[in-house]
Amino acid sequence: MTKVHDRVLVLLCCVGLVTTFFAPFLDQAPNRLASSTPLPLLNAPGFEAGAVILGLGLFMPIALLTSDRVRSLATIGASVLLLWACLAAAGHLAALRAPSGTPAMRLSLGPSFWSLAGIAVLALLDAAQRARLGLGARLGLVGLVVAGFILMARAGTFDSLSLTKEFLAHRAEFATELWRHLALVCAALLLAFVVGVPLVLAILRNDALRGVVLASLGIVQTIPSIALFGLLMVPLSSLASAVPVVKAIGVEGVGPAPAIIALALYSLFPLVRGFTVGLAEVPFAVKDAARGLGFDRRRMLLEIELPLALPALLSGLRVVTIQAIGLAAVAALIGAGGLGTFVFQGIGQYALDLVLLGAIPIVLLALAADLAFQLVIGVVRR
Amino acid sequence: MKPIAFHAVGKSFGATHALCDFSLEIPGGAFCVLIGPSGCGKSTALRMINAMILPDQGRVTVGGEDVARLDPVEHRRHIGYVIQSVGLFPHWTVAQNIAAVPRLLGWSKPKQADRVEEMAGLLGIEPALLERYPHELSGGQQQRAGVARALAADPEIILMDEPFAALDPTSRATLQAELERIHARSGKTIVFVTHDMDEALRLATQMVVMDRGHLVQSGAPIEILRHPANSLVGAFLGGGSIHMRLLDRLAVRERSTPRRTGATGAIAAGASLRQALDLMLATGSTRLAVVDEDGTWRGEIHIGDIIAGGEAGTSDASA
Repeated sequence: MTKVHDRVLVLLCCVGLVTTFFAPFLDQAPNRLASSTPLPLLNAPGFEAGAVILGLGLFMPIALLTSDRVRSLATIGASVLLLWACLAAAGHLAALRAPSGTPAMRLSLGPSFWSLAGIAVLALLDAAQRARLGLGARLGLVGLVVAGFILMARAGTFDSLSLTKEFLAHRAEFATELWRHLALVCAALLLAFVVGVPLVLAILRNDALRGVVLASLGIVQTIPSIALFGLLMVPLSSLASAVPVVKAIGVEGVGPAPAIIALALYSLFPLVRGFTVGLAEVPFAVKDAARGLGFDRRRMLLEIELPLALPALLSGLRVVTIQAIGLAAVAALIGAGGLGTFVFQGIGQYALDLVLLGAIPIVLLALAADLAFQLVIGVVRR
Repeated sequence: MKPIAFHAVGKSFGATHALCDFSLEIPGGAFCVLIGPSGCGKSTALRMINAMILPDQGRVTVGGEDVARLDPVEHRRHIGYVIQSVGLFPHWTVAQNIAAVPRLLGWSKPKQADRVEEMAGLLGIEPALLERYPHELSGGQQQRAGVARALAADPEIILMDEPFAALDPTSRATLQAELERIHARSGKTIVFVTHDMDEALRLATQMVVMDRGHLVQSGAPIEILRHPANSLVGAFLGGGSIHMRLLDRLAVRERSTPRRTGATGAIAAGASLRQALDLMLATGSTRLAVVDEDGTWRGEIHIGDIIAGGEAGTSDASA
């Protein structure tokens, strides 16, 4: 009697099969404005299409495996196969459909591609969690997936896809905006840290402050991001025109200054809350013993409270960082640059691939930051 | 040895009076046990000695100096502190925990290491455990490390707030015995909070019974057992079993007489009257031979000696 041990896997497989047969894998249009014709996966070369179906189909027998660990490891294998096969199928199908000499021809990734790739990533993340892979194994897995992607990219597999064309057309800008995006995030986190840490220390010394500080920061959190960016433009531009020194260091109503301030404001609430909760969770008995043995405030904080709260502090920082990476996209609206530039350009020009050129790296950055924090927290916990 | 004194100390937390007009003198070298029901103010009194809590009224002095005027951090480094939940630092090894105060005091590394080794020997902590982290230790081992940490900088005064309350009876009894031994050998002043009457009677040279922030009675345990100040102390001492507890505190040698009637069983002169009574019940005999530690005959004890002494007993225990 066979029994299904992983229903999610069966569900993912069914959804994948449905989109494979009923949704376009790529969309083909003679140019940006013309309407597109759908290309199903079955139009792709047989080898790649077969690999996609195989990877997806393997989920079914894998779901029947009894041992948790074996099932997770097998799922990882099938997911990696599915992801690579999707990438290869998309690239090769686009190459078949876009003969050279048709530069305006657009071959965009379609709903079926995104579902299948999404299913592969979802199954992969879930299985990696369940297989309780160590830090090294997790990094190795990420490296493996990325290496496959780079090898295909080097071989020119993706050259005919319109996303690649957008990338190549904006190559120089892409590097600039990527760094700008990272710089915005880092500057905002630094500012939030510089403002937040004294706030945390003040709250720890005076419990009455906690409610007031957290409530005010919480209100900031409810302001829609575009509104906050806009609200900061007015005071900053009047400040810049009133005080020349401020203008001289580059603060203006538009540009990076309001963006960094807004991002820092959004980061303050989770940062301050995470840090105070983390420090408050240090057991009372430990703090009582330390005080009774003659630790002064500074040594108590540095030698007892901070080391014990470190995992919680890093978890707080992780949330803040991921949030800032995403929110920084909006900064492009007030001229601060960053990957959001492509998103808003793309929306303006009705170029979905340009939007993706901004959005995909933002998602990947957030995932990378998440992984990096997981690694650090894992090391600290030991 | 520095004496500790409370001079008409009062302390309130909001509407609750933790201590009211509390005066007490603890002579240097005493083993002072503060006992009373929960909420009686015993922990508050204890925590005033190392300035963890400062009095609203009155003064607490250590060696004649007002604690409120001392630098609290420096003051605490010279007073050992042990709490019920142990409070070992979970991110430090046992050795690092024990060396905490010597490190705060700026001792050299080799001196710290020597002291850790010495403390481990004194409290029977196996050397292999020193490099472990607190969560890898049993409850008894953790509290041994806690006591070692409190003793490491050789303080004259040690404060202990229900240190053995969370331990199993066997570990508790062993640690009590070791603490008794350490106190007898070092002559340190120990102030110890408990709500366990047997523990108090066993350890104390000075017992302080407290209730709702007031000092009810203070004195040697045997005196309090014999003459409870009021019915509350009587009830707290164990109501119906006060006399059994008294037998616990009195040694056989105090009631034995040098007669020889041919008793079959034998008991050591240093054993308690309660142990003698127990042996009589076990053997069905009403008299026992009393022998010294080295086995020399000393006399006999009859059941009548035990019972007769119960009410009229005036001689002190030397147990």
